[in-house]
Parts: sequence; C-alpha cells; structure tokens
Amino acid sequence: MLQLRKRPTPLGWSAPLVFVTAVVLSLAVSALLLRLQGQPAWEGLAVFFQSGFGSTWALEDTLNKAVPLFLCSLGVAVAFKLQIWNIGAEGQFALGAVGATWAALYFSFLPWFFLLPLMLLSATIAGGIWGLIPALLKLYMRANEIITTLMLNYIGILILEFLVYGSWKDRASFGFPMTPVFESGAVIARIGRTNLHYGLLLCLAIGLAMALVLAYTRFGYELKASGENPRAGRYAHIPYKKLVILVLVISGALAGWAGFVETSATLNRLQPSVMAGYGYTAIVVAWLARLNPLGIALFSFLLAGMLVGVEGMQLELQIPAAFGKIMEGLILLTVLSGQFFRNYRFARR
Amino acid sequence: MVPEQSSPPLIRLKGISKSFGQTQANADISLDIRAGRIKALLGENGAGKSTLMSILAGRFQPDRGDVQVRGRTTVFNSPKQAIEAGIGMVYQHFMLVEGMTVAENVVLGQEGRFWLKPKRIFQEVGRLAERYKLEVDPGARVSSLSMGEKQRVEILKLLFRESSILILDEPTTVLTPTEIEQLFQAMRHMSDSGKAIVFISHKLDEVMSVADEVAILRQGHIVDEMEISQVTSTRELALRMVGREIFLHPDKKPISTGRDVLRLQNVWHGPLQDISLRVKSGEINAVVGVAGNGQKPLVEIISGQTPPKQGLITILDKPWKDFYRSSKWLEDFCYIPEDRLGLATCPALDLGDNFLLTTREHFSRGPWLDKKKARAAASDLFKTFNVRFTSLKAKAGELSGGNLQKLVLARELYRRPKLILAEQPSQGLDIAATEEIWNYLLQARGKAGILLITSDLNEALSLADWITVIYRGRIMDTFPAADQEKVSSIGPLMAGLKD
Repeated sequence: MLQLRKRPTPLGWSAPLVFVTAVVLSLAVSALLLRLQGQPAWEGLAVFFQSGFGSTWALEDTLNKAVPLFLCSLGVAVAFKLQIWNIGAEGQFALGAVGATWAALYFSFLPWFFLLPLMLLSATIAGGIWGLIPALLKLYMRANEIITTLMLNYIGILILEFLVYGSWKDRASFGFPMTPVFESGAVIARIGRTNLHYGLLLCLAIGLAMALVLAYTRFGYELKASGENPRAGRYAHIPYKKLVILVLVISGALAGWAGFVETSATLNRLQPSVMAGYGYTAIVVAWLARLNPLGIALFSFLLAGMLVGVEGMQLELQIPAAFGKIMEGLILLTVLSGQFFRNYRFARR
Repeated sequence: MVPEQSSPPLIRLKGISKSFGQTQANADISLDIRAGRIKALLGENGAGKSTLMSILAGRFQPDRGDVQVRGRTTVFNSPKQAIEAGIGMVYQHFMLVEGMTVAENVVLGQEGRFWLKPKRIFQEVGRLAERYKLEVDPGARVSSLSMGEKQRVEILKLLFRESSILILDEPTTVLTPTEIEQLFQAMRHMSDSGKAIVFISHKLDEVMSVADEVAILRQGHIVDEMEISQVTSTRELALRMVGREIFLHPDKKPISTGRDVLRLQNVWHGPLQDISLRVKSGEINAVVGVAGNGQKPLVEIISGQTPPKQGLITILDKPWKDFYRSSKWLEDFCYIPEDRLGLATCPALDLGDNFLLTTREHFSRGPWLDKKKARAAASDLFKTFNVRFTSLKAKAGELSGGNLQKLVLARELYRRPKLILAEQPSQGLDIAATEEIWNYLLQARGKAGILLITSDLNEALSLADWITVIYRGRIMDTFPAADQEKVSSIGPLMAGLKD
C-alpha cells in the first residue's frame, strides 16, 4: 500500500522536474480529451504550443497578455505576504480601467507625456481606493477581507458597465457598450516595430522595485515578519494597521495599473470585454510563484502563453471555447498538486 | 545498571542511533521499558530525549538499531503504527480540538466507528477518568479547561486506545503544584494497573518523587541507569546529567540603586485591583504568584499593549501615554515574554530575521534595512550569549527552548534597555540554561531595573531584591528578599492567606 510521508527537507534541485512532469501529465490528459472529441491529439498540442510560444507573433501576444497578469499578481502577492487575502484584483482592475478612461476622455486635449502619467495616476487612485475600502472595513468593522474584496469585484464591474452603457457610451457605436476610441495621446505606444507596448517596461520597473523593497527595506521585513507571525509582529510593535492599509492600497493600485495598461494599450477604449478574468488568474499565479516577484514574472508569462495557445486551438481546430477552460484547469490542477510533492512523498508501507 | 528482572520488557531499544546532519542526537542507545514501572528519562534540553521518544512514537526512523515490542523487532513507519502497537505519547503542546467536549476529543480519530453514540461515549470516558483518577468532566468543552485538565484529556485519549506504554514529555512544565501532585498520583495508578510509563523530565525532585527507575541522557548517550532506590544523592544525579558542577545560587550582590524606572500607583484594570509597585534601576522586583492571578493583564499594560483603565503608570519619569507615544521607548524598554515561540519570535523565519524583530530600528537607514550589518551583529551577539546554532539561516523554530530563550535575551539586551519586563524567563528550561539566563539577568540589572513575573519561588528568591506577592489581582505584600521572616510567609500569601 502506498502512503503519504512528509519529506524531512523540501525538495531542492529536482523541484523543476516535478513542475515539468505535472505540465506533461496535464498535456497528456488534454491530448486524450482531444482524441475523445475526434480531434487529432498531437496536432492539437502542436497548435497549442505553436500559437502560444511558437513564433515571434505568438510570443508578442503572450507577453502582452502577461503584462496585466503580472501587475495584478504582484499586487495580490504583496497582500498575501501579510496574510491578507485580497481576492479583489478583478474589481480593482475594473476601477483602474475606469480611472484611466476618465482621464483619457476628459483630458484628451493633453499631449501624451502629460496624459499617460495622468491616466496612470487616476488608475492608481481609483484602484487604490478599491483596495482601501476593504482595508478600512477589516480594521474598523472587523469585516473579513475575503468577503469584502470579492463583493467589491461585482460592484467594480457594475460601475464599469454602468459607465460604458451610460454616459461614456460612444454615440457612433451603434448602441454597443463602448467608449469612443482614445486620442493617440492616451494610447500606450508600441515598442519599435514590434507588437509589444511600453506597458512591458512598466512591469519591469515595478517588478524590480518591488523585489528590492521586499528584500532590503524595513517595510519588506515588517511585512514578512508580521505575515509569518502576527502576534510576534504586535510584540515587536510593527504597525499592523498601517501595513494592512498599505498592502491593500498597493495591491489595488497595481491591479489598477493593469486595468490602465489593458484599456490604453490593448483595447484603446473602454468596453466590458476588458474584464478577461486576469484578476482571478493572478491569484493562481501568485501561489504558483510562492509570492516571489521573479517567479511571478515567469508564471505570468507561462500562464499567458497558455491562454494564447488555447485561443489558437479554438481558432484553428474549431474546438469549443469551453475546452480551453478545461485545459487551463487541468494544467493549474496538476501543477498546484505537483507542488504538494515538494514537501511530501509517497512511500511503500 | 538495572538488575535483571524476570518479566520480559514491553519495549527494548537496542543500539539506537540517529543524527540530524552534523548533530548526533542519539548514539547507540539501549533501553528497556517494563510494564508496571515508571521510567524517568532525565536529561538537559538537547540531550536527545525528545528524539529518542519520537523514534519510539514512530515520528522518526532510527539510522541504526532496533525497536523490539514484546520481544519482536518492529519498524514504525508512522505514528499510526506506533499507536497500533500500544505506544502513546503526550506532547508538551496539546493536540486537542478546543471547541469540542472532553468525551468527543477522547474518541476523535478512533477508527472503525462510523456511528457515534454520544451517551455511551460519555459514560465510557467518565468511567475511564474515574478508574485512573484523572478528574475531568467528560461533558466540558476543552476550551474551558485548565492546562492540567487538558493534559488529563490527552492521557485519557491514550488510555481509551488501550495504549500500554505512555510517554509523557515534560508534563509538569504547564502545571501548578497541586496539579503536579494529581498527575503523579494518576501516574502511579496507571503503573499499578500494569501500564509502562516513560516520564521525560529535567527536574530532579520530580523524578525522585515519582519514578521507579531513571536513565540519564547526556549528549545523545545514556550515561547512567539505575533504580531510584539506589540513588544516594540528587547532587550526584545532577552532576551526571549536566556533566559539571552547577551553581544554582547565582552571585547576587546588592548594587547601588538609581532612580525609579517603573512606578504603578493605584492601577485598576480588569482583575487587577489597586496595584501599586515600583522598580528602581539596579534592582529586581519579582512579582510572585500562582499563574492566572492577574499577571497577564499586568504584563499587558506595562508592555504597552493595552492602556490601563484607571491609575497612574510612570515609566522612566514619563506618564504611560507619553512614554509609549515617543519613538524612543523601544530603546529603553524590553519585554521577555513567557511565550517564546508564539510571541517573541517568528518560528518560520531564520535567526537573522528574528534578531531584527525588535532591533530593526538600529539597522534602518531611511526606508532601507542594513541586513548585512544586522546579521554580522547577530552572529557576534549570539556567540557571546552562548546560543548554540549552526547558521543564521537556521529557522528559529528549530532551536531548543534554552537556545531560543538565550536568543531572545541577547536580542532584547542588545538595545541596552533601562526597564526590563521578564515573564517566566526560565520556564521549561534545564538547569544549565536556567543558570545562564539568570546570570544574564543579574548582569543586566547593573544598568536597568527589572520587573520579574514568575511563579517559580526558587527563581524569585535567587534573583530578586524585592518580592511582591500577587493573589487574585491584588498585591498581598511587598518586602525585601533578604527579610527571612517574610520570605517564609510567601507560600500562605500566594494562597491568599494574610494574618
């Protein structure tokens, strides 16, 4: 009989092997499912890789999708470090998109070097407020942040829809819920002749900054200590309330940035389809990366590639959209359960 | 050596060795455990007692050697297999579900029972408790029990599974003197009815009063084994355990005292009634009392966690509010809490990070934290304070109790505080570590005033210049520790008797 046993020391160098095994396993199951649908299994997987990672165009698309995922996930991870379970990146993303759009619509006369920073600022504030509310509710009304952040997601998305269906709707859109296309000054430019945009540089800068802050500042240390043992944090008089507010505002602001980048660079206008679920996937990314900024970058890229790859399969093989979701779920499930084996192993009785 | 006995041992350990990395926790240990006997396993923290018993309880596998149960060699791959073989262990940290009743906790984890019959379980547990004189109400919720009662529930769990070997790991550290006596009675009852009991301890007097035989462990080796009746002097026993002379009467010379560093005037707060006390620089004032008589709220207000409801508190000539509002207070005040692992440290962080917990102010440059400098300072400091560690990267949770306390003390004294609040500083520590901790506190007294909260009379008398007895939130009396007549009345005072 097989038995689960805790490893005396967590798996070291062979941990990536577990990861690869998990991915391969999930792909094998996906291939089997394709087969059962009467589709060519290997060809399907080839299409998946080809459209996710297999060409310059695919890589550009993947990187572009990784940008909002990275920003949301970095924010979520900061809150998780303090054991504050912010599930509200989706709503904070929506508010960021709304904030940026507000600046883009009402200050469209400004040149880009004023307008883009203004959009970034208003997205920061809007997203930050959407993080601040659950922080205050937690600290002063003892409301559980998991519930409040989750609920605020719905409110945030409804605010976005209220605006694009209402006062911000483009008169020339034949009734479709969308704002007018932004002026060119409100659009984040492409890098050179590629399809990549400068939001990628924003990610690099903030990712680097965050890694430095977490590793070398007093704030980063207090976050780690307080998150690891809240009672010891109180003993050492680490200002817990201040930290809770700070991490949730940072968390919200970063998700807000993602909303800004997505509306400005990808859609060039605000419409409900901007909500692609990045805020939820970000939570998974943060966990897979064990809250480490570099890991978040890596897993954002991999998961974005998976999203793009699945889209490619839909297009080329006319596989139903739901199949993409199944594959996504399979990969996440196997990888996450694979992480379990870093600390546990099977042994014969 | 233990004389040959006719009955075969329930458990025979043969040549057990176990090492963790570089440290040899157990070296070639052979030990017999017999039915109807109480065997004390005496040794300092880190001597290898816990490792040996964890091997027996199936949590670790030995590198070498055999475990024989009733004459048959057995390999335990998991705690479950050890339990099936009749070996049960009561750990220092209880594993109970607080929200459930005693009876529910006792049957928890029993296999082969899908349907629970609350009434029958209730009766069964009640009968078991009565039989072994483990007084506890089977219907009571565990969260409402005292530490002593919780421990009885843990023992009942083992008895309910009909374990024939019961291992008690330092069971007396959490108990009051009366509860200790009750525990010893229960232990004798259990051994009389044929159970084998292993009593892990480092307290000589307890071993002498309850055990039938004793094995002494030092640095992973069994250095001696004998019948309690053969022990002629406890001093001899202590020597063998520690391997050198111990002076448990630290050199306490009175030194010149300075200004008041702490003054409480007519403080009322929760159970505290009209508390007045003072601590001068250069002296140790020990608040003595049985745990639960108001020490906790007293510590909470003095350490600045909650503001006092009523009354005046002056710390270093500043009112309480002003003291804790100024940013300098962390420099001047330090608190050594009773709960080292849960409050004073982050067990999952490494030693370097744990050092920074209360010293981070010193290593901050603007928003930055100079971790390199801090780690260098920590490394030196820990060596000076004789903290035994392999690397600063080791997790705090991996240190033994004594080492952890030395780390906390080193860290807290690093800031050169003027007021020290020490709560049960030697609780659960072995003689050698206690001696070191006491000496450090006496040294610190040169530059600071110390308020010592303790329920250990020996500790209070060894360290304090002043004794303050607390009972039900009231101060019964305050007197110099040198006042022999008063000192002899501490016992009655702690029990609330005043002539």
